[in-house]
Order: sequence, then structure tokens, then C-alpha cells
Amino acid sequence: MPALFIFLSGCASIPPHIAELEARPASVELVDTPFFPQERYQCGPAALATAISSSGIAVDLQDLVDRVYLPGRQGSLQVEMLAATRSVGRLPYVIDGTLQALWNELAAGRPVVVLQNLGVAAIPRWHFAVVVGLDTERDAILLRSGVEQRRVTSLKTFLRTWRRSDYWGFIVLRPEELPIDVDRQRYQKAVAALEKAGHMEGAAVAWKVAINQWPGNPVALFGLGNIELSLGNDLEAEAYFRAIVELDAKSVAARNNLAIALARQGRFAEAMEELSIAGDNVSDPAIAAELADTEALIVEQSRDAKTPQ
Amino acid sequence: MKFNCLRQSLLQVVSLAIICTGFAQVSHAGVIETSVLADQEDRATHIARVEVLLASAEVARQFEKLGVDQALVAQRIQTLSNTELLLLEEQMDQQVAGGDALAVIGTVFLVLLILELVGVTDIFKSI
Repeated sequence: MPALFIFLSGCASIPPHIAELEARPASVELVDTPFFPQERYQCGPAALATAISSSGIAVDLQDLVDRVYLPGRQGSLQVEMLAATRSVGRLPYVIDGTLQALWNELAAGRPVVVLQNLGVAAIPRWHFAVVVGLDTERDAILLRSGVEQRRVTSLKTFLRTWRRSDYWGFIVLRPEELPIDVDRQRYQKAVAALEKAGHMEGAAVAWKVAINQWPGNPVALFGLGNIELSLGNDLEAEAYFRAIVELDAKSVAARNNLAIALARQGRFAEAMEELSIAGDNVSDPAIAAELADTEALIVEQSRDAKTPQ
Repeated sequence: MKFNCLRQSLLQVVSLAIICTGFAQVSHAGVIETSVLADQEDRATHIARVEVLLASAEVARQFEKLGVDQALVAQRIQTLSNTELLLLEEQMDQQVAGGDALAVIGTVFLVLLILELVGVTDIFKSI
């Protein structure tokens, strides 16, 4: 049955998404969105420059070319578009692939980078463009695309080209912003990736936004704890990890990192106690191995602390 | 115990290799990364450190093969999330690259299609 549906929708002349516009929201166009005309094969960096500068950061197009262009592929990969957004301290968030989500983000003032296939499945021509407007009167999409500053494409054509990428698109968020249609798990992963990319300050702001949205969110508390640890603020880190343990006594990861925060303060006995409780709750062998590593590390640290230098 | 020992030494070898190639992800010893927790909700298994290190090395190799300047490889790897690294490690070839390039095979196919539909001699004579 699902296969039949996919088959039928694949053949339908009008993609199902167009139905969403029946509610006829007002037209929207972000006229102030900057424009970076693309060089050959470099729609990726150009689209990225458009979206990032629109979020308020001055960008150097060549930097972005260095970040996302793959000479051997004559183009840019989707995941690298996201990664490059992190490199400037912004939060890339992949939106739901619907016209409504697109409209919602535009209405919030954020352009949307989309991946289109301008060819057909057999002869693909993959292209990144930036949606800056939606004309609901004329059923048209307004794009910064290629060398065209204001490309007007019929909604029907746009949806056909967008469908071939499974309606893939993302927005560039400032750390203090939440997407309009936010998915908790997707947002958590986005912020964790920003943190991993080394943008601690931005990640900390975003984690606080997450706690505001979902009070007591353990991933956000964990992220804040890890950021404090990385800054050497062991007391603050301890408080965050304790907050998680209070909400969920079985959180192995929180106890592991709490043990590290305690050991760094020289509180080795307490650290070992946390590890022991964590060990009682562990089921994943990979996590068990992490706990063993942490234990070895703390034993070593406590030995060093006892040995006069 | 034996496995643990093997794992440890493998980790050390890989870590050393990563550090030597210049893109060590500076992670504090023993600390479980936030992304581990963020990924946990919809992943059956935890992504081990060693997997991430191996994936980083493999993706770096592929980037270089695809013409990325060696000096830029490390920066590009560093901003990829663990799941993105694993995705690229496993299926870099299947990932589409947005760049307006028409695949050569596609063009050949198009020509063949036209030939088949319109008739070879006519279309070439008219040009």
C-alpha cells in the first residue's frame, strides 16, 4: 500500500504539497537578502554565502568555497553545507520538507537554502538555491539562484525540482533563535554538532534556548556541563551533571562526566562512587568501555595526587 | 579483558595516526561527548570514539582524493558531526553534489535517447 502511494504520487501531475497552500497565507518576500552570483559549479558556496550573510555575518565567498567545494565532484555535499554553517558559529537546521515550513521560516525572516534537481532522475542536475519569497497570489517561488538575483519559478515547477531531493532544505539560525517548527531531537543534534565543531559560546546560548523551550532537557543540561568542563569550570559543570542525575538517576553519561568533574576537584572518592552507580545501570558495552576508561583515568589521577611531585 | 586491551591499543594507534595527520579532535579524556547523548535517542548503538576516528581518517583520505587542499581537510572534518562522518565514510559516492554539473553519462544517455526517438541521420544532418 505505501509503495502504491509513492508510485501514484510520483506520477501525479501536481505534487501533494501544493494543497497546503489552499489556506492562502499572505505572500512574503525577503527583499533585503543579499545576493552572491555563483561561479561555475559553485552554487553551494554562493547559496551558503547568501543565507549566512542574511543571518548577520559578513562572509568571504572564497572561504566558503574552501569549506564546501569538492573539485572531484564539481559540486558540494549537503552535509558539508551544514558543516560550513557551523564553521562560522551559526546553527544549521534542516527544516521539514513542506511548503508550510518554508513559508513559516520566510515569515520569520529567514531565507531557506534548498537542494533542487533541475534535470530529471536519469540526467540529474543538482543545484543549491535560496528561497527568499513565496508569492501565494501567483503561486510562485522567489529565489536567489545561480546568477539570477530574483528568479521567479512557478510553484509547480519548483516543487517538482525540490521533490527530487526529498524536499531537502535548511535554515541558518543565530544561536539564540529557534526554528518555527522545531523538532526536539533534530535541534539537539544540531546544537551538539555546533558544540563538537568547537563553537562553545554559541552552543551554550543554544542549549539555554533549549532548556527554556523544554525545561529540564537532559541533553541541553549535559551540553552545558560539557562546555563548562571544557572551559575548566569544574564546579559549574558538576552542578549541571547533578541536575541531570536528580531528574534521571540512571543517566550513565551524566554520572560518568560528573565523576570527571569531581576528580578534577580532587574529590576522587566521590568520583569513584558515581562511576560505581553508573556501572550498575549500564547496558551498552561501548558505554561500559567508556566507564572503564574513565575509572582508569581517575585511579591514575588520584595516584598522581598522592605522589609528592 | 582481551577485547578491552585490543580496543585500547587500537584506539592508541588510531589516535596517534590522527594526531600525526593533524586533525585531532581535542576531546577531554574520559568525557562523554554531548553528541553521544543527542544521538542516543534514535540510534540503537552508541557511536564509539574509535569509529569516529576511523571515519575521520577515511573521509579525510576521500576528500584529498577529490582534490581538497590538504591544509583545508582538517578544518572540514572538524565541523562534521559524528553521524555525518559515518555517513560520508560509508557512502560518499552516493551523496549528491549540488553544483549544476550535468553528469557525462547523463549527457550520453540524452544523446542516445534523442537518437533513438528522432532518427540518427536526420538530426545530425540538420545541425
